[in-house]
Parts: sequence; C-alpha cells; structure tokens
Amino acid sequence: MAALVDTRRVLLKLKGFPQLIPRRYRVKKKWAATLPRITSTKLALQNFDVNYGTQFGERWPSIRISLLSEQKYGALINNFSSAQELMKGLELQGARDFVYEARARTWSPGSVGGKPRGGEELVWSSSLAAGQSGSEVPLSSQVGEGMEMAAATEPPSLSPNIKCFTFPKGDVTGFSPARLDGSGLLGYYLLDAASVLPVLALDVQPGHTVLDLCAAPGGKTLALIQTQACWRLAANDSSVSRTGRLRRILQSYIPREHSTEDRVRITSFDGRRWGELESNTFDRVLVDVPCTTDRHSLLEEENNIFTRSRSKERQTLPLLQSQLLLAGIKAALPGGVVLYSTCTLSQLQNECVVDRAVQVAHEELGVTVHIEDLSPLTQLFRDTFNFAQGMRLGELVLPHLTSNFGPTYFCKLRRVN
Amino acid sequence: MLQGGLCCQAYRRSMRSRGKQVLRWASLFRIQRLSFSESRHPLVLRKCGQEPQQALQRQLCSSLRSGPQQDLACSRDKDRPETPSQELQDKLKLLSGGTPGSCAHEETIRSLMDLGFTEDQVIQLCEGASSQTPPLSTQGLSTLSTLTTLGLNPSSILRVLEKCPELSRINGNQLQQRIDSLRKLGLLEGSLQRVVSHCPHILTLTPKRLGTAVRFLREECQFTGQQVTEILRSAPATLLEENRQLQYKFQYAYFRMGIQHTDMVKSGLFRVPLEEIRARHVFLERLGVYETPDKKGQTRIINPKLKDFLGASEDFLTKVARASPDEFEVFRKLLTRELEEEKEGQEENSDSEEEEAEEGYESEDSEQTEYRK
Repeated sequence: MAALVDTRRVLLKLKGFPQLIPRRYRVKKKWAATLPRITSTKLALQNFDVNYGTQFGERWPSIRISLLSEQKYGALINNFSSAQELMKGLELQGARDFVYEARARTWSPGSVGGKPRGGEELVWSSSLAAGQSGSEVPLSSQVGEGMEMAAATEPPSLSPNIKCFTFPKGDVTGFSPARLDGSGLLGYYLLDAASVLPVLALDVQPGHTVLDLCAAPGGKTLALIQTQACWRLAANDSSVSRTGRLRRILQSYIPREHSTEDRVRITSFDGRRWGELESNTFDRVLVDVPCTTDRHSLLEEENNIFTRSRSKERQTLPLLQSQLLLAGIKAALPGGVVLYSTCTLSQLQNECVVDRAVQVAHEELGVTVHIEDLSPLTQLFRDTFNFAQGMRLGELVLPHLTSNFGPTYFCKLRRVN
Repeated sequence: MLQGGLCCQAYRRSMRSRGKQVLRWASLFRIQRLSFSESRHPLVLRKCGQEPQQALQRQLCSSLRSGPQQDLACSRDKDRPETPSQELQDKLKLLSGGTPGSCAHEETIRSLMDLGFTEDQVIQLCEGASSQTPPLSTQGLSTLSTLTTLGLNPSSILRVLEKCPELSRINGNQLQQRIDSLRKLGLLEGSLQRVVSHCPHILTLTPKRLGTAVRFLREECQFTGQQVTEILRSAPATLLEENRQLQYKFQYAYFRMGIQHTDMVKSGLFRVPLEEIRARHVFLERLGVYETPDKKGQTRIINPKLKDFLGASEDFLTKVARASPDEFEVFRKLLTRELEEEKEGQEENSDSEEEEAEEGYESEDSEQTEYRK
C-alpha cells in the first residue's frame, strides 16, 4: 500500500554473513527485474473489456457489473425426494417455479395474474437497452404482442417434469444449502437457473436415448434425469476426476434403482470420438462444450483458463468446440436434435462454432442440419431471464443485476438426414 | 474598547455609507471577550439584510458599554416593550407556579425580551419547546446570551436548541471558549454562524476533542490548514465522528479510490457517509466507468470527477453511471451482503480451516464441492 510515511530508511550496512546479521538490518541488494504478475482474473477482465466492449457496446457495463457481482441461483427440485413439501417450503420463502409458471401461461395466455408479479414487470429498466435498439416501442404493447404470439403459434415443446425455483426479479435472497431427507437424498440442487434452459429446449420425450457429451460437473445431466423421460442416458466427460464428481452427484440425488448401468452410463472418453464410436444412435444430444466460463474466470483464480500457461489451450478452444459439435451431429439419428450450449458471451465460441460445424457437416459428411428458431421459448421465459435481442443464431441469456443468471448461449440444431 | 462618546446610530450610518470599510475598522479594534452578569445584558441588533457586514457591526456594537439600556437604540425595527406585558407574566407564573430560579422570574423574562425574543418564543423557551428541550434555567440564559452575541437571531437560536438540547447545559464561559477555538481554526464570521446553526453539536465538543480531531486531519491525513477549515465549513459533522471512522473513510478515499486531498475537500467528500461512498464507488468500478489510478497515478480511462458522482442520486445514475435505479438498489443489497460475508470470513479465519463439502452445489470448473460464496 502506498504509505503516507516516507519509506526510505537508512539501513545499516553491517559486514558479515547474511545469516549473522539480524533481519532488520539486512540490506536488499537485488530488486525485481520482471514486471509484477497480473492475476488471471485481471487478464480475463481486460480481455472481456476489449472484446465484449466492442461486441455489446452500450450494454457492456451492465453485463460487466453483473458478472462481477454475486450470481443468482436456482434450485432444481429433486423429483426422487419428497418434492411436494420442499416446494411448499420454498414457496413460503418467496421463490417460484419459473418453468411451471411459463407453462401455465401457455395454457391460458390471457390470465397473466397467475404469476405473483402480475406480468407487468417486463421493463429491463436499463436505458442502455433502449438506447441500443433505438426503437421507442412501449413495452406494454410488446407484452400484448408476445401474448398473442404465444397463443397463435404452437407453444414450444419442452422437456417434461423439470421444476426449478428462483426468487423474483430484484430479490437477492439466497437459497440455503440442500438438506438430506429421510431416504438419504438431497432435496434440491443449486445451479445457475439459465443452465436449465438448454435442457428444456432439448425437448426430451419419453422413450428417447440421450447423449450428454460433456456432462461434468453434472447440473444438466441431473436435469436430464429429472425429466424421467430418458430411456437411456449416456453421460460422458473427457476428464476422469470430473466424471468422478458427476458420479457422486448422481449418487446423492438419484436412487440406485434409477441410475443402474443400463439406464445411465457414465464414461470418460474423448468426446470427439463419438462420431466413430456410436454414430446415428441418439434421439437427443446435448453438447455443453468446455468454454472460457466467463463468470468463473472473472472471480476465481484457481483453474483459470486465462493464465498465461493456458493461453494456447484457450486459443484452440473454438476448434475443440466445433469438433465436439460435429461429433454430436454424427452421433445423432436423422431427425434427432442436437443442442449446443456454452456459458460464455464470446461470438467466436458461440455463433462461429455453430456456423463452422454446420458447414463442415454439409460439405464433408453430406449431413444437412437445420437450425430451429427458439424465439417462442425466449418469449416464454422473458420474465425471468434477460435475453439478448437481435441474435442471428441461437439465444443468449445476458446477466443483469436484477436477474443475475447466465451468461448462457444455446442453439438448437436438427439433423435432417 | 470604545467609550460611550460614540453614538451607535451615527456609527452605523457611517458604516453603511462606507461599505467595505467596515472590515478595515474591524481589524483596528480588538473585540473584547464579553463578561456576563445577570443585571446587564448586551444588546444585540436584530438581523436584517447583509450578513457579514451586519455581523461585524453587531460585534462592534455589542462591545459598547453605554449606560442604561434605553440609550442604545440600535436598529430596532419596531419599539419593543421594555417591560413584559402583564398577560405574559401571568401566563408564565401559571406555568411554573412561581418557583424560585425558574423562568417566570420577571428579570429573566425581561432579559430574554431584550435579547430579542418575542413573547411566544419566551413561552416556548420557558416551558420547553419539545419534549427534549428542558425548560430554561439560569445557566441556559447565559448560553442564550452567548449565542446571541455570536450573531444568531432568536428563531435560529430556538432551532439550535431544539436540535441540540445539551447546549443549554453548557456554561456560558465554556461555550465562548469553544466558539473562540472554532474561530482560531479559521472559521470566519459568516461561516461560523452557519456552522453553528447547521450543526450545533459541534459546540458540545470540548476543545481537547476538537484539537485531536483537527490534529488528526492535519498530521495523519496531511491536509493543509486551509483545507481543514474548508472541511469544517462544509461538513462540520466530521469532527463529531469517531476517529476510527474518519480514518477509515479517508483511507478508503485515498488508497482505494486514489483521490487526492484537493479533490476530497472540493467535492465535499466528508459530507457523504462511508456506505454511500463505497456503494457508489464500487458500482462505478464494476461498471467499468471508474478506475483506481495505479502507482504512477495513471488510468486507462478518464475517471468521472468526484464532485459529479457524489452529487444527487438522479444525476449520479443518469449522467455518470448511466444505469437504472433498480440496478443500483439491487447492487446495494448485494454489496452489503458481500461485505458482511467478508467480515464473517475474516473472523472465522482464525477459528477453523475446515472445508465443508456441501453436496449439491455447482461451480463451473472447480473440482471441489465447496459452498461457493
């Protein structure tokens, strides 16, 4: 710390071996020749300021502060535990199941009053967004249109049985850690509520075989199992230690009879090989690729991908991601759905990867992939999450201080042949 | 000390015509410390118009000791009755029941009225204006006279007493000492009155405590004498704060925000409570709008001026932060929680280093299943 007191002191130079001189009299002869090391979190922040500053422009400060502040969690209910009482308890605390409420709105689009917040609170009251879009459409009319759209078009088909509780917008209450119930299972799993969206979008129907290509640490895999619609689930992760963690999580949440080897298969292969291993096998494939995990990189020093020693790894990430996506496409059945998701804001890791994978699939494999529109889904959940407007490909959940979920990017691809 | 040869009114007339020469006159005469006695009360002019000039005049006039009170007819707007009206006396006698030493004593009433209080104000003073202010005692009377000498008009004195009832318990001499020490610190006449009327608690500080606070500002924080006076003038409540709080605020501004002394004084940093400063600063820092200067004092962006972001919250939000009020509210809640957890963490650090392996908590890349704050 810069001290007000003058730090130059006259040091006594005593002759003799350093070991014989008391520490307080030793003279420092060698001064640092290298620059101080900048922490990796700081490097990450600098990197983001440059890249996302240009990508998002006026919206970046709002996103930046949300990333640097404490994130908001959602509680994924464990259907195998005593779910009903748990849900009542959470509702008493003020949390609501956003999946249920969104669905309730599709059943009766007129009655928005079912939600406790009345539905008028659609103002992402950030003048930044208004400035960015430039159009002065009052938000109430947008609400009206949205409701009509939802009623007119088919409500999006979502994976069933997923229940995730969150506190309302602007509420910063936290969930207490989950407790073990009578049968030795935990009641809920705390995760970023935006991570549930890719699983919902995947639209797993009963009887499907599902592949989760990069399953660890296990949040999305757990959600997939909660749907109780996976006839067979293959969960894979390239890292053995993380697969171990995945196993432990499944042990705490899923009763043994539901996670037997034939129902849930956990492996530790390299995901890129799946094209050769099991091509044309799966109805649904979830490709939740390793990415720069923006939120984690800004706050945690440990295992940070922005350390200088991992810069090569970071620069080859997009290549790895497109290879994984390609493998996922190969592993899917014709007519199957592949869902690509990341937790970063970077276009290089999101849209560009999808573009490249689709292109390569078309040119080298002759596989046509059709990208499905997810706007009905975003319409459903726009009360809980802050979606980016004007996305060319896929959907992006932007963190905002009032709903500090994300960043999550997801894109739904359907293999046509 | 001027003798009675100079008539006050003529004096005043000459003053008015010469305008600024008043100041020169003031430098020539030493203003004597007033001694109080029950029988003779110095007259004070009713405040009207230009403040500093009048204040000086008042000082000069009040040091005049001319014979009986009736001779000094100094700028009275209307003739005040010399003796309190009969109704007033009766009312007060009823109130206090005629106990000795109480306010209802006729001489006390007379002196109060001579000081410039109207009848209603006298009643207010005697019965105690609010539940907090006690009824006036003789000691309180000397306080009142000191305050009047200082140049406050009766309504402001009432307000001051309401704000700070302890003042009436202080001895007149002590009060005068404290006022003098404030003057020595550089508070000139107009500012002194303003400071006392805005923050009367400053007079409850003993000179010793005042001295410690000022010494802290001068030596530890390295403010110049002028800057200390400026701080006193704009934010007198600073002196009332605990030393530790003040030190923490200064260190936060100097080291964490990188603000220099001149900016601190000019922007009125000491007027704003620490929590507000911290909330706004961290908000701006995380938005990317404010950057703490590095060792050489350089920043990569141009920081907004401290004056701008310590101002009104609407200006702060729309012009400097460019964010919505909701965001700032939520951010404040998050920040308080963060700070509490940090404090708890520091306290617990010494206790145990056990990691609770909380299952059921996802963190992106970490191998541990630790509950991440």
